[in-house]
Amino acid sequence: MEETSSSPDKETVDREAPQLAAALKEMKEGLDTVKAKVQALTAKVKASQFPTAEGISYLEAKHLLLLSYCQSLVYYLLRKAKGLSIDGHPVGRSLVEIRLFLEKIRPIDKKLQYQIQKLTTIGRGAAESTALNEKETDAPRRTEDLLKYRPNPDMLVSKSDTTAEGGSGVYKPPKFAPASMGEDKMSRQEKNALRKEKETLRQAGQSDYVRELMDDLQGKPEEIREVIGTESRELSTYKAKWEERARREEELFTRAPVTKLEKKKQKHLLKSRNGLLGLTDSFYDEIKTLPLEDDGGEKMSGFGGGGGSSGIRKFKKHKRRH
Amino acid sequence: MADKAVTIRTRKFMTNRLLSRKQFVIDVLHPGRPNVSKAELKEKLGRMYDVKDPNSIFVFKFRTHFGGGKSTGFGLIYDSVETAKKYEPKYRLIRNGLDTKVEKSGSK
Repeated sequence: MEETSSSPDKETVDREAPQLAAALKEMKEGLDTVKAKVQALTAKVKASQFPTAEGISYLEAKHLLLLSYCQSLVYYLLRKAKGLSIDGHPVGRSLVEIRLFLEKIRPIDKKLQYQIQKLTTIGRGAAESTALNEKETDAPRRTEDLLKYRPNPDMLVSKSDTTAEGGSGVYKPPKFAPASMGEDKMSRQEKNALRKEKETLRQAGQSDYVRELMDDLQGKPEEIREVIGTESRELSTYKAKWEERARREEELFTRAPVTKLEKKKQKHLLKSRNGLLGLTDSFYDEIKTLPLEDDGGEKMSGFGGGGGSSGIRKFKKHKRRH
Repeated sequence: MADKAVTIRTRKFMTNRLLSRKQFVIDVLHPGRPNVSKAELKEKLGRMYDVKDPNSIFVFKFRTHFGGGKSTGFGLIYDSVETAKKYEPKYRLIRNGLDTKVEKSGSK
């Protein structure tokens, strides 16, 4: 161990010497008081007045930590006083470690505060207590009310208790469920009009003619598909659905069973009709604007969905149960 | 029947170490033919993957696509016949001839 030849100036020594003396005196006094208290406690424990067998293990751990911290501090001071260096010594490291632990258990301490105080007041009872900390002598009066803060189901107000608010005689209905202000509520007509608009837009996008127009405008290349006749919409949706299904099956390496309805639909579509299935696809578009017999289509627009799809459903090719 | 250019492609090839096998999705292209038999597929797979024992190859769940000419199914190649016997369900072992069917009396 090297003896660091600390060569301070005489002035700093003179300046700091009284401070050091004062600090050392304080420390000695503190140590004396602690010693006295601890001796009193240990005497009592030895006289088996305080059984310490079943204490809170958390507190035990905390005490041990504090003790070892104090020990390390003392050793550190000793080395410093003798002028030995602490650079490589493990005491510095252990000091830091213990300090870290103490900081970490501080929140746990806070949380347990209530419980510990309650236990100590109960344990103390009527007997005279030797205060373990100075805090506790002041604390009991303050925490007297705090210790009563346990869950009290008697204080709950029932929701259906309408007679609770006596008072002014004005009837206030009980508030059960949260209610919102209908600020942007549209009237029924407005909602239906909006829906109808959306429907017509969607159906316009589905018709062949409009699609061709859009493709043309966007500059999409013309697609020539090798299919006899026009590929009906039914068939293309069917194929798209099955492709999606196949993709999922491959992902999971299993097959989903084909239901009877699916088999029926498959049979219906695979029946060779020489490609005439797609002939009547744009039938609805053509008859939509014709004045047909049921002019109740206008009045029916009040019902959900608008006259567009509900009126057309009458002309559905194959009435299937879905 | 003439072997009209049956092409086999495998997709999603995965080596399943836990079950000591290789599993994949098989795409069979058979234009002009209605269907390809499983035995033929096993033989072709054995040649493709250098399998010593063709009894450890299992192909199943084949579905022909709309319009014909293409079918998709699943395939497994086990490391050995013993592992196959351990992990495969009975009906597939029976199909491969590694097991025999037990005739159970029907429910009353």
